[in-house]
Amino acid sequence: MYPLFEVPLVGGPILIALIAVFHILPCHLATGAFWITYFIERKAYNENRPDLLEFLKKYTLFILIFCFVTGSITGVGIWFASSVTAPRAISGLIHNYVWGWATEWVFFIIEIVTIYIYYYTFEKISPKAHMRIGLIYAMAAWTSMVIITGILAFMMTPGKWPVTGGFFDGFFNQTYWPQLLTRTALMFVIGGIFGLVVAPFVTNSSARETVTKTAAKWVVGGAVFTALFATWYFYRIPQSARELIISGYPYLKLMGFVAIGSLALVTLFALVWALPKPLSLNPIASIVMVIVLFAGIGGFESIREIVRRPYLIPDYMYSNQIIGHDMPAKGVKAESELINKEGFLKYAKFVPQGLREINEKNFMDAGRIISKYQCMSCHTFSPDGRLSIQKLLNSAGMSAPEDVADLLDSLGDYPYMPPFMGTEVEKRATAAYLAKLASPDAEVDPKWVVNGE
Amino acid sequence: MTNMATILNSMRDPMGVPFYPWMFQALMVLTFALHIIFVNLVIGGASLAMYGHIKGKEEPKWKRLSATLARASTVNLSLAIVLGVAPLLFVQVIYDPFWYFSNVLSGWWAMGFLLFICIAFLALYVFYLKRGENIEGYGFFGAIALVMLALTAITISALSVQSLHPEKWDSWYLIGKHMNTAGTALHDLNIARLLHFIVPSFAITGIFLMLYSWYFEPRKDFDHEYLTWVGKTGAKLALYFTLLQIVVGVWWLLTIPKNLDFLTNPALLGGAAVGVVTLVILVGAQKNPQKQAIPVAFVAFLAVLAMSITREVLRMEYLGKFNYSIYTYKLNLDWGSTFLFFATFVMGLIVISYPIIIAFKLGRGTDVTGGE
Repeated sequence: MYPLFEVPLVGGPILIALIAVFHILPCHLATGAFWITYFIERKAYNENRPDLLEFLKKYTLFILIFCFVTGSITGVGIWFASSVTAPRAISGLIHNYVWGWATEWVFFIIEIVTIYIYYYTFEKISPKAHMRIGLIYAMAAWTSMVIITGILAFMMTPGKWPVTGGFFDGFFNQTYWPQLLTRTALMFVIGGIFGLVVAPFVTNSSARETVTKTAAKWVVGGAVFTALFATWYFYRIPQSARELIISGYPYLKLMGFVAIGSLALVTLFALVWALPKPLSLNPIASIVMVIVLFAGIGGFESIREIVRRPYLIPDYMYSNQIIGHDMPAKGVKAESELINKEGFLKYAKFVPQGLREINEKNFMDAGRIISKYQCMSCHTFSPDGRLSIQKLLNSAGMSAPEDVADLLDSLGDYPYMPPFMGTEVEKRATAAYLAKLASPDAEVDPKWVVNGE
Repeated sequence: MTNMATILNSMRDPMGVPFYPWMFQALMVLTFALHIIFVNLVIGGASLAMYGHIKGKEEPKWKRLSATLARASTVNLSLAIVLGVAPLLFVQVIYDPFWYFSNVLSGWWAMGFLLFICIAFLALYVFYLKRGENIEGYGFFGAIALVMLALTAITISALSVQSLHPEKWDSWYLIGKHMNTAGTALHDLNIARLLHFIVPSFAITGIFLMLYSWYFEPRKDFDHEYLTWVGKTGAKLALYFTLLQIVVGVWWLLTIPKNLDFLTNPALLGGAAVGVVTLVILVGAQKNPQKQAIPVAFVAFLAVLAMSITREVLRMEYLGKFNYSIYTYKLNLDWGSTFLFFATFVMGLIVISYPIIIAFKLGRGTDVTGGE
């Protein structure tokens, strides 16, 4: 185990989620936008409408700043946030998919070289060459999505990977194609919506009308296909996850409604305003729609994250970064058995001195260390924090260490919780610490902790 | 020590690596060299743009150069970030215990690192786009960018140094019966090492200016007196800062623990030799920087590559004291995905050569409008 980094109040997962959800906007814009620009640029040259180029220049500069500043930094940011909050999980992913990420990186290089050259060569090179550069960008950007989607899909449905350990066995799994197509359709919605943010700034009114209508059509078309493919995607995720969304967890249902509602609202916006009255479109309204879409994507991605529990890597590594299942194809033994036999405190590498053996004096400290290592990846330890341990225990009416110990025993029965891992003494020490944390008046018998009686 | 060695080896990812570790190491060293060149161009370019911003009030040449460098810095920063992704990926493959430990321990700094770059980037864009035709005002944003770049450099350098000292980890993480999970502190920084990465920024930017002067030389619409001045300024910068870099390098060497016997290490001697060759060729280039730009750039690239190799050899020396060797990393060969990467890589080089050739010709004044 690595050391722990505690994010107060919200907890580590929210840190990753904030960065990751924000990243969705620039990254999907970067992948979707250039299909739209290619379409408009072709129109400009075929129909001899140089007035349309103004939009392309403004839109490209916007993409350069938005996607290649905030987009690329938040992309790296997901790695950094995962490194500090779940290093073993990101390490596991990287040790399987390093060549996938490296391949994606080649496409990043193509993207960045082509977009700068595209931007700085407007009307300086032949239209054919310029459009070709735009098309290379569009294809490279979309291919980067083809790759990263495989890794994302793997994180929920690992396919045959748990048996074979093969790169492509995990990559092309049951949710790969529906997710890729959903994201592909969604990127047109995002590209279109940002087009509607930039379009009102086009000075020539006939050009403004054309690009506004074009962008609105991409939004509507993209949204229809997003809805279709997302439905398919929904029916390809494991049944247990589907049940969790529909009936198991009200929060997930709410997130589902947010996602569907936002897509509907954005489509409506394009249909009733941008398409029929393109010249009256207000960029602030478009920005509001970006925020609506952002909330919807947040809903979609948080569902995707939550239904992965209790795993970070399915059928292999639990949310608390302990390897819970053997992986014979790669010669990995589950750690859970060893931890249950020898003790978590002996197994964890960085434990304060004098705490590896539990006695009547140190059990509270030992319990604190174990609970931090095993619970902190989802729960916070402050009374007002997100998924606060204190709050959860209090609302379940648990104040006696014996009750908490029983709860720890049954953790594995909850569909989204990993089991407690450690010896019996460690379990009682953890229970004692958690009971005291939730109710400071709780009575703890040191003898019970050490001897179980 | 042996205990630490056992701990370090058991912290490695149990699934092992999908290809021979030397390959990841080679790619890491190569891509780090490319990354650091663009980092140097950003730090040197943005600093010089700021200098030109101030100096430009009296000398119009500096004003013009400031505008060029501000624009170049935004592009260079994009490239620095994208090129940084590769070594960041590969270091996690072969040095995972060290990299993750150091990051977790200084969690907020690792996150701050991103915020610093983001602010620097946006400030650079304001500095580049908002100064207008007269290149005036908005100096504050240039200054913000420089401060943020400095913070970025300090953070990443400290994270690297922390990862080299497993013997100190316990003392940083464990305090009495508690674990230090706050992630608010940077625990170790080697100023000489940091400067060894910053000082060459001005040498590399100087060489960039020599290349600029060489590149636009065929263009009839360019002011050739200005171009000559840019080349000479660049050559001077490159020479002085290469000299300074040698001094800083010696300082860094003195801070390296004696028991590593690094002073006689062949990698260091080789790297230093390339550094000296760079210096000699720069002395010769002072007279006519435009003509010498290409050979100087080539030798400087070799020097950066040599430095990247030396840095890796030094890391192996540090971690070798704990019996850590990447070459003993568990291997789970995956030929399919390895092939996927290399095939894509070759394809990528071919694909980008097309727009690069077009842009290169355009900049040099060759007609690429297709006769339209």
